[in-house]
Amino acid sequence: MIEVIKEGLETSVQDWPGRLGYWNQGFPPSGPMDSWSFRLANVLVGNDPGAAGLECQYIGPTLKFQRAGMIAVTGADMQAKLDGEAIQMWQSVAVAAGQTLEMSFAKTGARAYIAVAGGIATEPWLGSRSTFHKAGVGGMEGHAIKPGQLVPVSVGEGVAGRKVRDDARPEFPSDKQWSIEVVRGPNDDWIDDAGHERFLGSDWKLSSKSDRTGFRLDGPDWSFAEKATDKAPEHGSEPSNIIDQGYPCGAINLAGQTPIILVNDGPSMGGFINPYTVPRSAFWKLGQSKPGEIYRFKAVSVEEAQALAHDLREICSEQSIST
Amino acid sequence: MIYDQPKFLPGGDRYMLVEFGNEMNLELNFMGQSLAQAVADNDVKGVIETAPCFASTLIHYEPEDISFKDLQSEMASLIGTLGPSEDIELDSRLFYFPTVYCDPWTKEAVDDYRAKIAEKEPDPEFVARLNGLSDVDQFVRVHSGTEYWVASLGFWPGLPFMMALDPRCMLTAPKYNPPRTWTPQGTVGMGGASTCIYPVATPGGYQMFGRTPVPIWDTQKRFPQFENSICLFQPGDRVKFVPCELDVYELVEAQVADGSYQYNVVEYQKFSVRNYKAWVESLDTSARF
Repeated sequence: MIEVIKEGLETSVQDWPGRLGYWNQGFPPSGPMDSWSFRLANVLVGNDPGAAGLECQYIGPTLKFQRAGMIAVTGADMQAKLDGEAIQMWQSVAVAAGQTLEMSFAKTGARAYIAVAGGIATEPWLGSRSTFHKAGVGGMEGHAIKPGQLVPVSVGEGVAGRKVRDDARPEFPSDKQWSIEVVRGPNDDWIDDAGHERFLGSDWKLSSKSDRTGFRLDGPDWSFAEKATDKAPEHGSEPSNIIDQGYPCGAINLAGQTPIILVNDGPSMGGFINPYTVPRSAFWKLGQSKPGEIYRFKAVSVEEAQALAHDLREICSEQSIST
Repeated sequence: MIYDQPKFLPGGDRYMLVEFGNEMNLELNFMGQSLAQAVADNDVKGVIETAPCFASTLIHYEPEDISFKDLQSEMASLIGTLGPSEDIELDSRLFYFPTVYCDPWTKEAVDDYRAKIAEKEPDPEFVARLNGLSDVDQFVRVHSGTEYWVASLGFWPGLPFMMALDPRCMLTAPKYNPPRTWTPQGTVGMGGASTCIYPVATPGGYQMFGRTPVPIWDTQKRFPQFENSICLFQPGDRVKFVPCELDVYELVEAQVADGSYQYNVVEYQKFSVRNYKAWVESLDTSARF
């Protein structure tokens, strides 16, 4: 068991790839927003890459370990300390029974991950331990962890001092400018050429009105192809309105003039167009950016996006570990 | 229209949207649902899940197991095996929902949006005017004058996307621009030609004009209707909104709270596409109630 002393800003149990198979009833996958850092944290402590761990947003928690074990902290640098001593990130660290892990605000990045050998052992809900905050399901009683709670952990054995090689870690830009891959579609033909050029050629600022359901972006207005204005009335009369359809996770959903990237806890369907989709290999960048930071989008093909996902899968494995 | 050939549209590295047409009708919805069923029945390699809606089916696949191109051929061949929807006859439950139209809660949410986000005409008046109805009273008569077909579930767990079965009650409306950040639980709203019930308080984009106290989502499974799923609806259900006053709302709300509420649902009917189409053919669809 891990005792929660301080909860941090929003620390939640997540597993990867999350709650799949229920998109047709409206259940999102949830899961870690930066699955690169998350999976490697698990690999460090000898877990399956998808085992349940903790995602810490902006400010990390303070946790007391009731029994000895092995942990790893990856992702955003939240200045982790064990009984007051700074610990190395991206490395497996042995903890003794009674020791306290204390984390603070994120100096770089936005989300840190804590993996524990054996994995967190909360009750799965619809096949996953991931927390879906807004519906209050999964994780610890459906929500972020709270002081006084005891987080169950399975028994596992890890080896201390295993490290993720420097070249296998995600690199966070120091100038707060992110280059994010996008694939055109499914509704790209609703946007005119000028609109596409403006989307790919402009800075987009991540709005503070963003959360695990959607990342809202501030930027220039969109312009539309004829298809968006000359259409059957059941679409709805605004140019961005379409007959309700399934949404890809990662879709850049154009609600009126506001683009919203639909992320891990996002809606499965709705009546706005999705001119572009962020492929899963770029999700870690969304997870590690903070409101106010700038996105530039870079178009890639379906095949390129699939190759990037393949490469990331290889990186999130034992091959990235040195001892 | 229904396209001669469906469109296979990419969504990033792991989704394909199969679009069958660009209008709303029962036939397109059956195509979307039937493809999803065929994918499940045939256990197509590499497909993780599907999400059918009014005129399309979203396919979530793993490109390590199947390429976009091979998935497209698989889908095209499955679509070729789907029978005509004319012959479909299916069990269809009919739920009655006591609903307060022009209720104080959605009015409060609309007023809040108008004050803080964007000025707009109040939703019931707006939808009435756009559809050429004489006033809000007629809007309520028209909106509540039909059964609604549950075409799919999505957006939020358990939320039904529904279409009016009676063409004389077909209404359309734009979606909010920008969307709302909150909507009261149980709100009845519409956007495009789709009507929905919001299962819990969520963001939203539909025009809103009514509220029902009857839960359509229940993680605690307090009522027998939730025995097999925490979502009340399944595609192919029908819904009838029964306009009621606030006192009935409060009565039902109290019954829901103490667990004594009995869902008003009939379960003996079959829905026949052939009969439905023949009935629609017989109507004077220019009439309004």
